[in-house]
Amino acid sequence: MNEFATLAQLTVVAMVPYLLASLGTMLGGLAGVFSVSQEGVMLLGASVGFLISYSTGSTAVGILLAAAVGALFGFALGWATTVLRLDQFVVGLALFFAATGLAGLLFRVVIGQTGQTPLVDTLPRLEIPLLSDIPLLGTALFSHNVLVYFAALLTVGLWFFLYRTRAGLNLRSVGENPKAADSLGIPVKSIRLWTTAAGGALMGIAGAYLPLVYTGTFTEGIVGGRGWLAIALTFFGGWRPQYIAAGALFFATMDVVALRAEVSGIDIPSQVLLVVPYIATLIVMVFALRWARVPEFLGKNYDRESRTG
Amino acid sequence: MTAPVLTEPDVVLTARPSLAARLLRGVLPYVLALVLAFVVAGIVIAALGYDPIEAYRTIFTTSFRTGFGFTETLTKWVPLTLLALGFTIPLAVGRFNIGGEGQLLVGATAAAGVGIVYADLPSAVLLPLVIIAGVLAGVVWAGIAAFLMGRFHVNEILSTVLLNFVSFQVLDYAATEVWSDPAAGVAATRRVGEGAELPTIGGPPGVHAGLLLAALVALATIVVTRRTAAGFELRAAGTNPRAAGINGIRVERIAVIALIIGGALGGLAGALEVSGVHGRALEGMQSNFLLLGIIIGLIARGSALWVPVVAFGIAILEVGASSMQRTVGVPAEMVLIIEALILIFLLLSDVIAGRLARRVA
Repeated sequence: MNEFATLAQLTVVAMVPYLLASLGTMLGGLAGVFSVSQEGVMLLGASVGFLISYSTGSTAVGILLAAAVGALFGFALGWATTVLRLDQFVVGLALFFAATGLAGLLFRVVIGQTGQTPLVDTLPRLEIPLLSDIPLLGTALFSHNVLVYFAALLTVGLWFFLYRTRAGLNLRSVGENPKAADSLGIPVKSIRLWTTAAGGALMGIAGAYLPLVYTGTFTEGIVGGRGWLAIALTFFGGWRPQYIAAGALFFATMDVVALRAEVSGIDIPSQVLLVVPYIATLIVMVFALRWARVPEFLGKNYDRESRTG
Repeated sequence: MTAPVLTEPDVVLTARPSLAARLLRGVLPYVLALVLAFVVAGIVIAALGYDPIEAYRTIFTTSFRTGFGFTETLTKWVPLTLLALGFTIPLAVGRFNIGGEGQLLVGATAAAGVGIVYADLPSAVLLPLVIIAGVLAGVVWAGIAAFLMGRFHVNEILSTVLLNFVSFQVLDYAATEVWSDPAAGVAATRRVGEGAELPTIGGPPGVHAGLLLAALVALATIVVTRRTAAGFELRAAGTNPRAAGINGIRVERIAVIALIIGGALGGLAGALEVSGVHGRALEGMQSNFLLLGIIIGLIARGSALWVPVVAFGIAILEVGASSMQRTVGVPAEMVLIIEALILIFLLLSDVIAGRLARRVA
């Protein structure tokens, strides 16, 4: 039973980067801006988060700056696609490259060539009083680092905001039918700008999570496709927070199971275990895309003067 | 997602724009983008405490000062051009092939496998077999994504990217379990037979003969896309899928075929890297060719004519990057930022040039 609690705890820890990056993707996407720069922005978030924590000794500052840099990249995507109406995929790819290059450059400039790996303290566990004493569940759910609780609250908060408030409805209408939203006086441009910026911030935090919770250091392969998987997750989470959380659980479970199977020495080549998440995602996408609905204007720019849009 | 991606914004709808307008639209964005990218990067380099002039001089002269530098540039040009074309051909139908890396790696693995298993065959037989194996592996790899796209409408950006991560493990399995070479230091296969290696042309030091093959492929792509019915259908399906469909062009099928051709080029790139450069398949051989291929394709605006030219420019930057890191001390990552900036400023300059051109016209 103890083993199970540990596995459940690891799974919850592994959910967070998927969840945050995917919620960030969802936020911009619901307003109609589709980002493809997650992988790069997460790497940059990881680099900035690690470097700032390393040089200031404060992980909180590291996380905040990672969020700020992510927001900057998100805002750039929003600005280039709403104000300049450039193609969302092309701009997204360009920002992906810029973020990837910047992440490596910053690390190289600050750390340089050293023999030993620079390390920071990973985020401490905060045990919630009373709740963390519940057998099994206490360990699995209420004994985590601060970002786990943040991600959980964010999921619930976003669900409430999007589906229970007027502002959330306005936001979604921008992604479904910007022309109609515009005619009702909803500020299409500014909604697209703040959602992409906020989404970028979440991706930055998702990236910073990796060195600050898992490894304690930055490596170039640290994101390892999680950014791309987050896009897949957003699609088959149907662009809704609650299903995205369920999907993140699925990814995290596969991560943990693959890791466990490798450690336990089962006679399967490690390569087979390592491809499981990617193959499973492809298979799930085949089925999930039938029911998952996508915001009508996802990936399309809105031009007030256009007669066809 | 099927709308044309690379048409410039604010297109002027006059029948024949004036020469000034065409110049503004065609040349100005490139000039602006290059100047701005190098100025901004130069400021960063200076802020880091290095000499930007010295850094740029190293970048631009390395490829031309020595035979080795030029050889290295041409050698890099081969996979860059092939991956960029593998990106732009599906892009013409509005599909994004982000799987060049995976297609290259499975192509390399298959090519190395054939080269090792049939190592004793004479070159005349083995070499074509190795290259065909690479191409076929690329076709299969992109074929999976193309099938999922055509049959189940699975987004090709995602499927091609996810297959990249699978391909890392395919190569790793071949390099550690099947044909491993423990002496290599990294995960690597054994060397292929001598018959599987491409001859060297020119030199010394000389470039592997895959250069000619890549040039031939680039030429064929230009001719096919610009001068044949198939190329016309490709472009029609991309620019206006609805009109194309009404006129009997099967847009979905063309998209699937375009993605598979993209995979074939990726696989070919992998095979050429094995038989021309490394003599084996090894971990990390994909370098950052995927990112660069996409950057090249986008800077060239998807034009098959311009891809080889832009690829040459990027190859110069890449070869110069490592030499800049050695002699001036500026981290080589700076060059990726310069390349990304060129692309970003090109996109921004398009907007400016478009507005100016409208005023002139």
